[in-house]
Amino acid sequence: MIRSSEFAESFRIAVASLRANLLRSVLTTGGVVVGIFIVVLMGWLIRGLDSVWEQTISIIGRDMIYIDKWNWAGGRNWRLAESRKDVTLDQVMALADRMESPEYVIPMTRQWGGSISYGSKSLRTSIVGTDSDYGATPAGSILDGRFFTSVEDQQSSNVAVVGFGTAKTLFPDESAVGKTIKIRDIPYRVVGVIEKRGFLFMDFIDQQVFIPLRSFRAAFGFQGRSFSAAIKAGNERMLDVVRAEAVGTMRVIRNVPPHKEDDFAVNEMEAFDEQAKSIRFWIWVVGIGLTVLAFIVGSIGIMNIMFVSVTERTKEIGIRKALGARRSSILMQFLVESTFLCLFGALIAMPVAQIVVAAIHTIATSVYDFEAASAVSILIPLDLLGIAIFVSIIVGILAGIIPAFRASRLDPVEALRFE
Amino acid sequence: MGEEQVFALRDVSLQIGNNEYVAIMGPSGSGKSTLMNMLGCLDTPTSGLYTFKGQNVRTMSDDDLAEIRNREIGFVFQTFNLLPRATALKNVELPLVYSGVSADKRRERAEAALDSVGLGDRKEHKPNELSGGQRQRVAIARALVTSPSIILADEPTGNLDTKTGQEIMAVFEQLWLHGKTVVLVTHEEDVARYARRIIRVRDGLVESDTVTT
Repeated sequence: MIRSSEFAESFRIAVASLRANLLRSVLTTGGVVVGIFIVVLMGWLIRGLDSVWEQTISIIGRDMIYIDKWNWAGGRNWRLAESRKDVTLDQVMALADRMESPEYVIPMTRQWGGSISYGSKSLRTSIVGTDSDYGATPAGSILDGRFFTSVEDQQSSNVAVVGFGTAKTLFPDESAVGKTIKIRDIPYRVVGVIEKRGFLFMDFIDQQVFIPLRSFRAAFGFQGRSFSAAIKAGNERMLDVVRAEAVGTMRVIRNVPPHKEDDFAVNEMEAFDEQAKSIRFWIWVVGIGLTVLAFIVGSIGIMNIMFVSVTERTKEIGIRKALGARRSSILMQFLVESTFLCLFGALIAMPVAQIVVAAIHTIATSVYDFEAASAVSILIPLDLLGIAIFVSIIVGILAGIIPAFRASRLDPVEALRFE
Repeated sequence: MGEEQVFALRDVSLQIGNNEYVAIMGPSGSGKSTLMNMLGCLDTPTSGLYTFKGQNVRTMSDDDLAEIRNREIGFVFQTFNLLPRATALKNVELPLVYSGVSADKRRERAEAALDSVGLGDRKEHKPNELSGGQRQRVAIARALVTSPSIILADEPTGNLDTKTGQEIMAVFEQLWLHGKTVVLVTHEEDVARYARRIIRVRDGLVESDTVTT
């Protein structure tokens, strides 16, 4: 039976002991401070990653399906994909003609590492040939200027729409619109800049340059080139219907016999979710590893100082026992004290973590001009603080249990004799 | 040849009745401290029988013993054994903490106990701000606060000068007169003379047990 009067007494002793040994206590809680700090920071990072990721994916649209030769997330299927026949532009156009359920079917092809230049600046990036419908999708949403038109596509005009990142690199201090860049030494007029879309490993999205398909043909040729069909379902609920229609239609177009597997890939945003999950997972693994390490070090420190405390207060334990303290009273006294020490550590760690979180947030939003970061709270969520407090209580109890047990078992006569 | 077992006490047979005033005497190493520890339920005999108010102490759990110490016995030590960082009042409140008395009631009873030993004006002082005699009075107040039936005092005047010692002994006299059972452990004849019964212990044996007048 634990009496409230004893609990209050234990708490009072813990506070008094902390005040009496302030420096020692602060140093002792070091490991716990680090542990709590990592727990909070890790939790915040994962939350942030999730919400930024969700935002990024939803901007591009979860309702997008890409019919490609290559699987996005399938390193092991590489040989299989390589043996497939290219997806031709005619097949994509046939798909666009025949499909009824989607909002758009947009042909795309890509030149990786194509060189572009403006004045003396040049860079290699992904050059995408597509049609004007791309500008109607969220992925092609325009920040400045406009997307190229279907007329420009038909006339094979040398116009280009550049990604946010490319615009920043080539035109750091001026508007890109109206400038002339060179793609493969062919001059193109920049008509628009696309809004920032990517983050982390999706960064390449902002580096792309879009030109009309016909003009792409003039620059790079269609020979030996595989095309993709970017299909916008319209909304997520339509995804299954559109996917089924796309697969069925494409099998017919490519003459896939009924018993054979698809000889093309169906790529969706979920492929990227896998990557986000693995980043998330590694943050957890590293974070948990560091946290466990810090807490082991921390609890050894606390256990050690509790042994010191028990020894220092052997006489006091004897007095308390003589006056009627039961084993459980003494056990609780020292458990409360070790828990209190851990909570004290958490109390130190939290403002530090908050400052670091605020700093990361500020740097991410302003210095890196990373707009999506503003979707993440600059404050540590309350439930994370709750978890931190819970963990520190558990660590406090675990670290205190052996010293407290030893204290509770002291023989009162021996303890009273201790000087 | 095994190790020889050493008994601090052997063949001790005695009975202490309600409201007796007993002094246990003997040189150091005689076993008188062991005897007092047993009487105070701090220690239990390895063999034999000790009944406290009809209960067999030897078979009690540690927590039962703690309960008896808390409710029935008030300890007064030679070195006072006050908690150095706590005020006189908090020290006196301590036994009540372990009997689950609420904070208000604790304070009330502790103040009354301090008043009764003449320390009403020293409640917020810490032990190092008090004289030896005052410290022992705090210890006595602490022993009294749970209204135990027995006061066990181990060399209560050992660390005090003669005059202060006499004052402290006068306090015990009063407690006895008010119905408490008082057991003193001492090696000083002057102190033992206050008691009404003297038990002399030597080499673990009771040498004599005499009632004085």
